[in-house]
Amino acid sequence: MTVEDVKRTDTGNALLLANEAVVRGALEANVKVVAFYPGSPTSEILDTFSEVIDHFGDYKMHISSNEKVALETVAGASMAGLRSFTSMKSVGMNVASDSMFSIGYTGLNAGCVCLIADDPHAHSSQSEQDGRYFGEAAYVPMLEPSTAQEALDMTKWAFEVSEKHKTLVILRTTTRVNHQRGVVKLGRLDRTPFKKNRWQDIKGPYYTVGEVARALKAKLLQKIDAIRADFEESDFNFIVPGSGTVGILTAGVSYDHTREAMRNLRVKLPMFKLGTVFPFPEKKLGEFLRTISTLIVVEELAPYLETRIAALAHTYNPSLKILGKKSGHFSEMLEYNVPIVETALARVLGKKPSMDYDAILKKAEELKDMLPERPPIFCPGCPHRGTLWAFRQALQQLRIQNKIVFNNDIGCYSMAFLPPNEFSDSMLAMGSSLGISAGMEMALEDKVIAMVGDSTLYHAALPGVVNLIHHNANVTLFVLDNAVTAMTGQQYNPNSPYNAGGHEARKINMEKMFDALGADSVTIIDPYETRDCIAPIKKAMEADGFNVIISRRDCALYGDRLKRDAGEIIVPSENMKDICRSIYACIRDFYCPAIAIDEKDHKMIIQQELCDGCLECRQACPVNAPKHVKVKGR
Amino acid sequence: MKKGETYNILFCGVGGQGLMLLSAILGKAGLDSGFNIMTGEQHGLSQRHGSIYVHFRIGAPLSPLIPYGKADMMLSMEATETLRYIEYLKKDGIIITSNRIMPTVIETKKLASDKEKKTKYLTVGQITERLKQVTSKVVVLDSLNLALQAGNPRTENSVLVGATVACADFPIPKEEVKKAVLALVPPKTIEANSRAFDLGCSICADCLGG
Repeated sequence: MTVEDVKRTDTGNALLLANEAVVRGALEANVKVVAFYPGSPTSEILDTFSEVIDHFGDYKMHISSNEKVALETVAGASMAGLRSFTSMKSVGMNVASDSMFSIGYTGLNAGCVCLIADDPHAHSSQSEQDGRYFGEAAYVPMLEPSTAQEALDMTKWAFEVSEKHKTLVILRTTTRVNHQRGVVKLGRLDRTPFKKNRWQDIKGPYYTVGEVARALKAKLLQKIDAIRADFEESDFNFIVPGSGTVGILTAGVSYDHTREAMRNLRVKLPMFKLGTVFPFPEKKLGEFLRTISTLIVVEELAPYLETRIAALAHTYNPSLKILGKKSGHFSEMLEYNVPIVETALARVLGKKPSMDYDAILKKAEELKDMLPERPPIFCPGCPHRGTLWAFRQALQQLRIQNKIVFNNDIGCYSMAFLPPNEFSDSMLAMGSSLGISAGMEMALEDKVIAMVGDSTLYHAALPGVVNLIHHNANVTLFVLDNAVTAMTGQQYNPNSPYNAGGHEARKINMEKMFDALGADSVTIIDPYETRDCIAPIKKAMEADGFNVIISRRDCALYGDRLKRDAGEIIVPSENMKDICRSIYACIRDFYCPAIAIDEKDHKMIIQQELCDGCLECRQACPVNAPKHVKVKGR
Repeated sequence: MKKGETYNILFCGVGGQGLMLLSAILGKAGLDSGFNIMTGEQHGLSQRHGSIYVHFRIGAPLSPLIPYGKADMMLSMEATETLRYIEYLKKDGIIITSNRIMPTVIETKKLASDKEKKTKYLTVGQITERLKQVTSKVVVLDSLNLALQAGNPRTENSVLVGATVACADFPIPKEEVKKAVLALVPPKTIEANSRAFDLGCSICADCLGG
């Protein structure tokens, strides 16, 4: 499989996910230190590095507590003379950017590359944030690949640019690049043994403030000019020749869609494929603009290229007509595909798309009118289902359903905003539930509740916790401790006794930490003993002060994997139909995908191949109908 | 398949059904047969039981995503999910779908809320009736039963992969696909997977022939 391809020492072809191609590129560039906090659509980069770390044994890796720490870790390694790499999702850079802006000023030493992955369509993110502005705003060069092959090649090149100009280099991707698989020509894998340096031999100043900052800024502007000059010569900025005076400017995955759209339309417009989204190769672009009279800009999200090319056209071709988002040909919303690009190009050229895409979509919509939604949902065996059920019971028993505010956070438990729970009043960013709670606690009469997972707690929630305790705030905090960073693929975090490659690490003692910080109470509950959770939750909610409920149980996917690895059998549950009275408490308040209704007798049935055997449904059942009955291996 | 042409397959199913393995198998078979391959995969969040898909493209694809109406084949591990992505299938394209239906919690809730107990789950018949409005080539496989016949209930994917090679214009040679299946499934299950592959192939051939 493809992780094996990452290890290959030959230079043949391999079918790689672009995220794996990035790892391969960094390894071919002899990367020595890597650090990450997981986040879709980049998580496979972390996972792949973690999987091959013992095979190579010549690089060091942290699964860091957050993206800022990860970026600082690789920057520190670069200052210390070792090539280093990190990747993060779009919003990860919001966290890391505080240091990133300073790194722009101080510069670095050994090659240091940071990948940021935007998520048009917000498939798995809280916004459609466009990260391209970071490069320009921080004076940090930014490259953007379109394919798996370019992902590999650009990663390697990014290390060269970084090392030559002593700067961080950002590689910007979008979900459809990260999660595309393509045939990739592997390069030479020349790894060297891991070796530490001596600071005396390589040291440089890496600080910036006041007068120093002003001097660095002047140098930085010169540095960007030098990088721009290099980018003018780069093969990653190229022109695909074509005919006519209508041209195209595009980058990233939009290049892929545009090529196919032109093929479908049987047209060949001259096209500038931009590989360096900051700084622009202005002369090369300017020369291209002089050869055309109309430019179609194809890019997802914000009109980043469009506004910058309009400024450039003032110098090179003032009469150039620019078509893009501002002209209404493309949307700033969502992600693109071939039909969207093809339809826009057809409109400009006065042609018809190769197919009537609108008619196809309309017909499909009619055919699907009876189709039930399949929304994201907690897995069978998920401990969050039990915690939230117990929480709801506690609210009902205390009769305070309408006297609370619930600040949710980022993790699988974000889904508490969906039926059947519908609890979330706010949910913004990693750790935000604590800060939001601080403001609400001052402004509201209601009981303020915050909820975070273990990984989010250590990622960005701790300053918010300290702030609430320090201010004597009345807030109940739920920490959903499922042992791992579940949502992104069950990676280890400071709450795990392991780190990358399954190597031993020190697990932070969560309850001791809250105790030491001065929490008024810390109560540990087991969501699989669901009914027993109600009383301690009620107690914590009724108490004044900062009271913490730690709901502790392994993520079901992680726990099942541990069980399988240990040769243990996962025993699914069955509904005892003679006991079941079709009360449907297991359905209404529970939403377990393993639970269905038998149309013959209208009793609940547990789908054996889906059931995890957690028996949380038995706890929700007033007559205890679900049971483990027979031992079956899976 | 002629040079410059592209054969598009849309895989779909429910999270946890092993769609990524299916994609890896055909990817290996395609690459080993000298084809260019490009896929657009849905990874993202790791929750089980969501709707998932892979755009799998052989030949001369330029974009990772299949345009609407241009999939030559849909290969689906769950019947309702087949209908969910029907906009990708070309007119008279081939649908190979498991007859398995995994009820969604939304439907189960509707059944539970209906005091007169008249609400029913969606059936395979209702779904195929809709699918047939796009194509006559709908192959519905009782993949679980065929897997059981092959000797292992967890070989459903091999049944479905076996079915692909029975289709006339499927570009990857049967031997290469079977080789990839046997190379990527757990060693203990090779024999059952081999039988499952053959069963899927012959049943699909019968369906398309008749």
